[in-house]
Amino acid sequence: MRHLRAFPLSLLTLGLLICQGQPALGAAKKPESKAVHKEEKANPPVITKVTPVAEIARQSAIWHQWTDLEGRKVDAMFCAYSKDFITIQTKGGKTFQFNVNILIPEDREFAVACAGKDKEAAFSPAVITAAAADVDRLIQAVLASKEQKPNPLATDEQFLRRIYVDAIGRVPTAEEANEFLNDAAGNKRAKLIDKLVYSPGYTMQMFNWMADLLRVKDTFGKAVPAFTFEDWLKSRIASNAPWDQVVKEMVTADGRLTDNGAAGFMLFDADMPLDGVSNLMTTFLGTNMACAQCHDHPLAEWKQRDFFQMASFFGATDGKNEGIARQIQSTLKADPTLSKNVVVKIGLVNSYRLEDQSKNSLTFPKDYKYKDAKPSSPVSPVLITWEKNDAKLPIYKLDTTHPSQLRDEFARWLVSPQNPRFATNIANRLWKKAFGLAVLEPVVDIDDLSQASSPELLAHLTSVMKAARFDLREFQRVIYNSRTYQSGASVTPDLAKGPYLFNGPLVRRLTAEQAWDSFVVNSIGTNADNILLRRSDVLMAYSLPDGKVSAAVIHKVIDSINKTGKGKSMADGKKTGGGSSMGLATGYEGEKPVTRFSMIMARASELPQPASESHFLRLFGQGDRLLTDSATNDGSVPQVLQMMNGSIGKLVSDPTGVAIGTALKSKATDGPIHSLYLSYLSRHPTPVELAAAQKGLANGLHLADLAWVLANTREFLFIQ
Amino acid sequence: MISPTFANQLRTPEDRRTFIERCAKISFGLSVLPFFSRVADAAEKQGAAVPNAGLPGFGKAKRVIFLELAGGMSHIDTFDPKKGESKGPGTPIPTRADFQLTSYLPETAGVADKITVIRSMTAKVGVHASAAYLMRTGFERRGTVQHPTLGAWAQHYLGGSHKTLPSSVAINRSANHGNGWFPASHSPLPILSPEDGLMNTKSVESEEVQAKRAELLIALDAGFGKKAADENVKAYNEFYDTTFQLMKSTDLKAFDLNSETKETRARYGKSKFGQGCLLARRLVENGVRFVEVSSGGWDMHKTLDDSMADRGGEFDHVFATLIEDLEARGLLDSTLVAVTTEFGRKPEFVGGGRGHHPLVFSTVLAGGGVKRGYVHGTSDAKGYGPEKDPVTVGNFHATIAHAAGLPVEQEILTPAGRPMVIGNKGKPVLGIFA
Repeated sequence: MRHLRAFPLSLLTLGLLICQGQPALGAAKKPESKAVHKEEKANPPVITKVTPVAEIARQSAIWHQWTDLEGRKVDAMFCAYSKDFITIQTKGGKTFQFNVNILIPEDREFAVACAGKDKEAAFSPAVITAAAADVDRLIQAVLASKEQKPNPLATDEQFLRRIYVDAIGRVPTAEEANEFLNDAAGNKRAKLIDKLVYSPGYTMQMFNWMADLLRVKDTFGKAVPAFTFEDWLKSRIASNAPWDQVVKEMVTADGRLTDNGAAGFMLFDADMPLDGVSNLMTTFLGTNMACAQCHDHPLAEWKQRDFFQMASFFGATDGKNEGIARQIQSTLKADPTLSKNVVVKIGLVNSYRLEDQSKNSLTFPKDYKYKDAKPSSPVSPVLITWEKNDAKLPIYKLDTTHPSQLRDEFARWLVSPQNPRFATNIANRLWKKAFGLAVLEPVVDIDDLSQASSPELLAHLTSVMKAARFDLREFQRVIYNSRTYQSGASVTPDLAKGPYLFNGPLVRRLTAEQAWDSFVVNSIGTNADNILLRRSDVLMAYSLPDGKVSAAVIHKVIDSINKTGKGKSMADGKKTGGGSSMGLATGYEGEKPVTRFSMIMARASELPQPASESHFLRLFGQGDRLLTDSATNDGSVPQVLQMMNGSIGKLVSDPTGVAIGTALKSKATDGPIHSLYLSYLSRHPTPVELAAAQKGLANGLHLADLAWVLANTREFLFIQ
Repeated sequence: MISPTFANQLRTPEDRRTFIERCAKISFGLSVLPFFSRVADAAEKQGAAVPNAGLPGFGKAKRVIFLELAGGMSHIDTFDPKKGESKGPGTPIPTRADFQLTSYLPETAGVADKITVIRSMTAKVGVHASAAYLMRTGFERRGTVQHPTLGAWAQHYLGGSHKTLPSSVAINRSANHGNGWFPASHSPLPILSPEDGLMNTKSVESEEVQAKRAELLIALDAGFGKKAADENVKAYNEFYDTTFQLMKSTDLKAFDLNSETKETRARYGKSKFGQGCLLARRLVENGVRFVEVSSGGWDMHKTLDDSMADRGGEFDHVFATLIEDLEARGLLDSTLVAVTTEFGRKPEFVGGGRGHHPLVFSTVLAGGGVKRGYVHGTSDAKGYGPEKDPVTVGNFHATIAHAAGLPVEQEILTPAGRPMVIGNKGKPVLGIFA
C-alpha cells in the first residue's frame, strides 16, 4: 500500500487495482519505440494512422498530480475514463479505478480531456469505413468467384447481442437492449460499437481472451503464485497498451513476479525453458516448432537445428535462482522456529526470477543425430525465416554478441512490423475471435500463408494491424464495422468439404466466461462491470528485499504477514484470500461483491484464474490454462444439470435478481415478458412465443420460472 | 469360448440395425435416429462380419478403465528400470512376477503378477497436447477432424451400455469432444471432482412446477431449434434430452462415493486420483462401459525424485488398490485397466529430471483377458528406443478395442464421408492375451 498514502482507501469507492513493480508506462522503452517507427517506414502500411501525436502520447507517460475534494494528492498517469469511472496508474505501477466525482473540478475536466485525447488515437470514422469496406470487398470477391453470396444483414437484435458479447463479454441488459433497439439514428451500429469498446467491460472481455492464450493462472509450477501477472495484464489492457509493447514487456521482463508482473509469462516455463521457447513461438508467431524440439519436423520444413538456434536467444536466461532457493532452505533448517509453510512460499516467490547471464549455456542435445551440428556443441542464435528474402529485412540484423542482451534483441525482431508473422498471427486470431473461425486454421500453425481461405484477406488484415500499430481495440473496431461481421450467422461448416469463405460469422456457443458474465449482469446489473478484485498484495507480502536472505529478514516478512494479514491465507495453506472464490469475497479491497447461492457475483476476469473445478466456468469449458488455448465449447450432461437444477438454475430464478426486477417494473401490457426476453435473448418474443409465455404464466408459473426457461433455451447459449 | 456379447448379437446386419435403433429409442430420444441408421447402413455396406471375433482375447473386457498420466511418465523410473548411465534416483526392485520395477512402485510390485507391462510403446509426438490427443484417440491430431475415444467407438458398435447411465465417463478431466464425429450422446460425461460426483441431479422445484417449466421450455425452444441446424446446437438438444432421461434414473447412486464405506474410501487414499479410481470402479460395476481417469503432474523435467515420491507414490498405491479391489470383487477378468501416458522421458538424467521422449515408453494393461505377470516387448539397454516387438499407439488402441469386442478392421464412414478404422488401422497385439 506504500504508493497510496495520498489516496486513503476509503476514498476509492470502487475496486482497487494493484500492479506492483511494473515499469512506468513506456518511460524506459522510449528510444526503442522510435526505432520501431523507423522500421515501419521501410515497410509502409496500406493505411496511414491519422494522429501520430496520439501515438506518442500513448507510449510515453504523462504524469499528472491528481487532487481530490479533500485536498489529497497523488502523482499518476491517466489510463482510461468511462461511465464516471477513471483509471489511473501511479509511478510505482499501481493502478486505481474510482468514481471521478471525488476529484476536484479541474481534474475532472482534465480526465475528460485525456479521454478525448485517447479517442484521437483511434482511427477516424473515415479510416474505419475504408478499412472495413476493403474487408468486405475482398470477401465478396472470393465468394463471387465460388458463386456464393454474403448472408443477409443480421437483424438489429442479432447484431446487438453479438456485439455486446464480442466487445464486452456479456449480453446486454433489457435497458441496454431497449436503448439500442429504440435508437433511430442511422449510424446506430457504429455508435454502439464505439460505446462498447471504450467501456470497462472491454478490458474484462479482452482479459478473458488473452488469459486463455497466455495461460494466465493463479499459480504455476509447484504452486508459485502469479497474481501480479494477472493484475499487470489487466492494467495493460485497461490502458490499451499496443500488442507489440505488451509482448515485448513479457518477453524481456526481468526479476521476480513481485518485481514485475510481466515476468509471469516467461516464468511459467522456468522449469522447462525449451518448451517455453516453442510455446512462445506458437503464441506470438503461429509457428509450430514443438516437433522440432526432438527431431526434424516430419511435415513442415523446420529442422531441429532451427529450433535450437531460436532457443539460443534464451540460452543465457535463467528462470530460477537456485542459489537463493538453497539459501532460504538452509535458513529454514537452521531455525526451527520458522513456519515451514511460509518459508517454502517465500522460497518459491523469491527464487523464481528472470536473470540474464553473461554466458550462453545452450548446447545441442547429447543425442543430436543430424549432420548439421555436433551433439552437445554450443548453439549460436539464428533467426528462422519463412521466405527466402526474409533474412534480408533490416530487422534480421540483430546484435548477438552480448549473451545477456540476446532476449532484448530477440524481442526487437519478434514484435517488429517487419517480422513476417507477428502481425498476421494476432490479426488471424482476432478474426477468429469475432467470426468463430480464423482465415488461416489452425491458428497455431500459420507458416504457409497460401493455405488461408483467402490469402488476400489475411494480407489485408495484417496491414490493418500494422496501420493500427498493434492497437487491438482499433483493429477490432474495423472488423466490427464491416458488413461481413454484421451479416447473419452461418451454421458451423464442414471444413472437410472445403474452406469456409465467410458469408458471415458462425453461430457460436457463448464461451464459459461470456455465459457466466451474462448471468452475473442479469443478477446484479451493469455495476458488475465496475467490480474489480485484485490480489497482488497477497503475493507482494512474500517479497524479500532484493538479494537479502537471512533468518532476520525472513522473520521480518513473516511478522509483517501476521500483522497485516496480507498473504496470511496463502501461508496457512487454506484456500482463502488468494485462493478460492469464497476467500476473494473477504480478502480483497474495494467494494465488496455480493454472494448468491455461494457464488461470488463478479465477472469471470475478477475470479480465481482459472476458476475452481466445480465452478460453472470450468463446467462450461474455461481452460485449465496448462496449455495455450485450453478452453473448450462442447456440451455435457453436468452443464445441463447445473443450468436446470444447480446454483445457476437457482440464480436465474431468484426474484431479487436485476433481470426479474426490471421485468416486474414494466407496466406495459406483457411488458414483463418482453423485458425478460430482452434480458436473456436480446429480442422481443414472437406472437407465438408470447402466447406460450402468457399461457405458462396463467397456468401457475411465475416470472422467475420464465427466466429459468429462457436461460435454459439453446438460443440463450448461442450467439447468432 | 466367446461369451454371448452385444457384439455377437450384432454380427448380422439386421440385428445391428434393430439393436441400434432400440438403443437409440431407449437412451437418447428419437432425434439421433437418422444418424444411427446412416451409420448402420454404412456398416452393412462394408460387410458386418467381425474378422477378429474368433481370435484370442476377443470380447473378454466388458468394461475398460483408462488411466491417463498427463505430462509424460518416465518409463525408466517406473515400469522399465535401467542400469548404468540411464538409471535414475530409484533402484530396481523385485516383484511378484519375474520382472523388476523401480523402488518408486513397491505396491505395484505386489500386484505385478496380475498385470502386463508393455515396454516397447513407440510414437513420434513429443508435445503434450498432441501426444495426449494421440494416446486418447489413437489418431494424430489433424486440423479438420475430431477423433473419438474408445468409449465412443464402443458405444457406436455395441450400443449404450446401460438403460439410463452414460456409456462413457471422464473423471478429473473435461469431455473435450471425446465423441469425435459421433453424436453428442456418445460424449463422455465429465466429472471434474470425484468427491462431488454428479451434482444437481434433483430439481429444486416441485415435480409439478418442473413439469410446467419443461413444457414451456420445449415450446419456447422450438423456434430456434428449427431455425438453427447448427451441429453444436443439435448437440445441446441431445444433452437436454439425455439429462431429462438421466434425472429419472434410479441408478444415479453409481456416481455417489458416499455410498462406499469409510474403509473403502480410505483405502483408495484422499487424492483426486484415488477417489477418481474408486468412482471409476463404482461406475463400471454399475453398468458404465468406459471410464477415463486423469492424473496430472507427470511432466518431471526437474525434481523428478521428489515428484516420483509424491505423484508416483500416489499412483503406486491407487493403482495397486484398484487392481486388488477389482480382483476381490471378481471383476478383474472382465475389466480391462489401462495405464497410459503421453510419452516417456529421456535416458539422460539432467538437472534433476528428464525431457520428453516419445521414441520408447511403457504402458500397462491388466485384467480383461490379458496375461498376468507378463512383459511385452523390450526397449534397448539405455531406454532410448524400442528393441523387440514395438507397439504403436494405434496398435495399443486396437488391442483394447479387440479385448472389448469391437471390430478392429471395420471401416466406417464419418458424417463427412471419410473412412475411419479404430486406432487408425492399428493391429491388436494378440500375444498379450491369456
